[in-house]
Amino acid sequence: MMYILEKKRLNQILSDWAQNYEVYVPQKVENYAQFLPYHPSSIINLSDPHKTRYPPKALFLPQSEVMLKYDSRLGRFEDVNSHQSPRIIFGMRPCDAKALTLLDTVFDTEEYSDPYWKARRESTVIIGLGCVEPPQTCFCTTVDGGPFNHEGLDAILTEFDEQYFIEVLTEKGEIIFNQLQLATNQQEEQIRHLQTEAYKEMEPAFETSGLKAKLDKIFESRYWEEIAESCLGCGICTFLCPTCFCFDIVDEVQRNERVRNWDTCMFRIYSLEASGHNPRPTRKERTRQRLMHKYSYWLEHINQIGCTGCGRCVRYCPVGLDIRAMLRTASIYESEVVHAG
Amino acid sequence: MQDNGHNPYSPMPMRIVRAYYESNDYSLKTLELVFDNQKDRETFFEKFNPGQFCQLSIFGKGEAPFGVASAAWEGDFVRFTIQKMGSFTQYAHKLKAGDPIGMRGPLGNGFPLMDWKGKTLVIIGGGCAFSTLYALTKHVHHPQNRQDFDQLVVIYGARTSGLCMYKHDIQSWYQRDDMELHQAIDVPEDDWSHHVGYVPDVVREVAPSPQNAVAVVCGPPIMTKFTLPVLVDLGFAPETIFTSLEKRMKCGIGKCGRCNIGSKYICKDGPVFSLAELNALPADI
Repeated sequence: MMYILEKKRLNQILSDWAQNYEVYVPQKVENYAQFLPYHPSSIINLSDPHKTRYPPKALFLPQSEVMLKYDSRLGRFEDVNSHQSPRIIFGMRPCDAKALTLLDTVFDTEEYSDPYWKARRESTVIIGLGCVEPPQTCFCTTVDGGPFNHEGLDAILTEFDEQYFIEVLTEKGEIIFNQLQLATNQQEEQIRHLQTEAYKEMEPAFETSGLKAKLDKIFESRYWEEIAESCLGCGICTFLCPTCFCFDIVDEVQRNERVRNWDTCMFRIYSLEASGHNPRPTRKERTRQRLMHKYSYWLEHINQIGCTGCGRCVRYCPVGLDIRAMLRTASIYESEVVHAG
Repeated sequence: MQDNGHNPYSPMPMRIVRAYYESNDYSLKTLELVFDNQKDRETFFEKFNPGQFCQLSIFGKGEAPFGVASAAWEGDFVRFTIQKMGSFTQYAHKLKAGDPIGMRGPLGNGFPLMDWKGKTLVIIGGGCAFSTLYALTKHVHHPQNRQDFDQLVVIYGARTSGLCMYKHDIQSWYQRDDMELHQAIDVPEDDWSHHVGYVPDVVREVAPSPQNAVAVVCGPPIMTKFTLPVLVDLGFAPETIFTSLEKRMKCGIGKCGRCNIGSKYICKDGPVFSLAELNALPADI
């Protein structure tokens, strides 16, 4: 069953929702798209196939977030409320939504649930936008996702001509799309065809079977030095990654606030210890950590690859490093003979 | 003061009840903390196990992880011995009785005491890393716990006698008939009647028997590195050798990402690991 939303009615439906929800929608900012709160004057940018520059993880794990306010003299503090009012995120790409389901396994565990993450997840309805024309940097189908993957979404849209075709996936999604026209069988068939074509367009970017075992095997090889050679250590691959979640906790002494900020394993100080020892002293170890985390450690934790193939790290790397090429190299890398002679 | 609810990032309000130097060079200071809230005290001691650590929290300075150096039966306080290293610990050294401080914990797995029941414990420590082993020894000393274990052997080394921690208490251990104590310093000193030498050599000299025994090693990385092979030589199996690891940490609950070795987080899956477990992990230490 699919609903039809005329494109010209988009503003109407968004402003209707905005009566009861905070509504986030990709908007044009300078030369890129970013999720921002909807306003009738917003310049909506749903057509950028490259997704928003910042992944929508930022709406759940903000780049910088106050956790508590303190009085250092008295040693007293107050938690900052983790309450989140109901909101709708409209137009999230399937790779980014899948990333949220992966991050749930980090932030919402039985032992320690992160109240900030949880409050935002529970009060958010996510409407996805499938990718009819996936760009060259995307490789979601290689990593068990797809341009119309449903994981993490409450509904998914397929753009066709002057309409969006909507598949409702959860009860949360049902509530907000209740008064729309139904698509005919013929239209549905047409949309399914469009979706299948999008899957077909995406060639496998690298071989994933046996990849973890291979990476584990070459952990101590020169492979890492070779692939990290041109890396600048800027960390953009991790900051813009929808599944990277590392954070730092620091006290902002001028504001009297304890803040958590996005952090990155690509920085030297990330793992530097008080003694001066650093388990990851060079970019070689740090690049290794980034790739091993996504393509080995995630598999050990939940048997899923910790990458959703969004391609941001490929698109935004200032020296053109491409994780797909790195992994292809790994697959065929022949470890040097350690005890030669 | 408000209820911390279920926010695992929210520290418990604590107060320093005793603060004193442990070493004659003023590099080691012990802080004993009591709970402002009764409920926090109860939850803490319900969960606490020697070998665990806490995040101490000084507002304006941040947080840093420290191993707990006291056993639950010692009283309603939690003890930490802190080496002066960076800005947090410099400030921690200025704290005095009555000062407020925050604490999150207990964190981590602690020593697997249930698995060690009925066994001989060989406890080997060097430097200020002995603090969690002191907690372990104190735990075992309680009559109710002592019967759970066979023999107790403690080997504790420090660079100089001035750096030996918990002096008065440890001195009294020589009078106990339920344990064997070997203290060592690196270089000879007048009035020192115990071992002289590095911990690995002392372990080789003392040669504890691996029969029905587990060995626990905590110390600076260089000491641990050279002690583990000695234990293997003495016949300890990798499954019976344990150590406690440290890494830079922030959250302490397996979320902030930085303290992993392979797929294991030191804060959540450790800090205590057996040598067998460590051997299975990549060399990322």
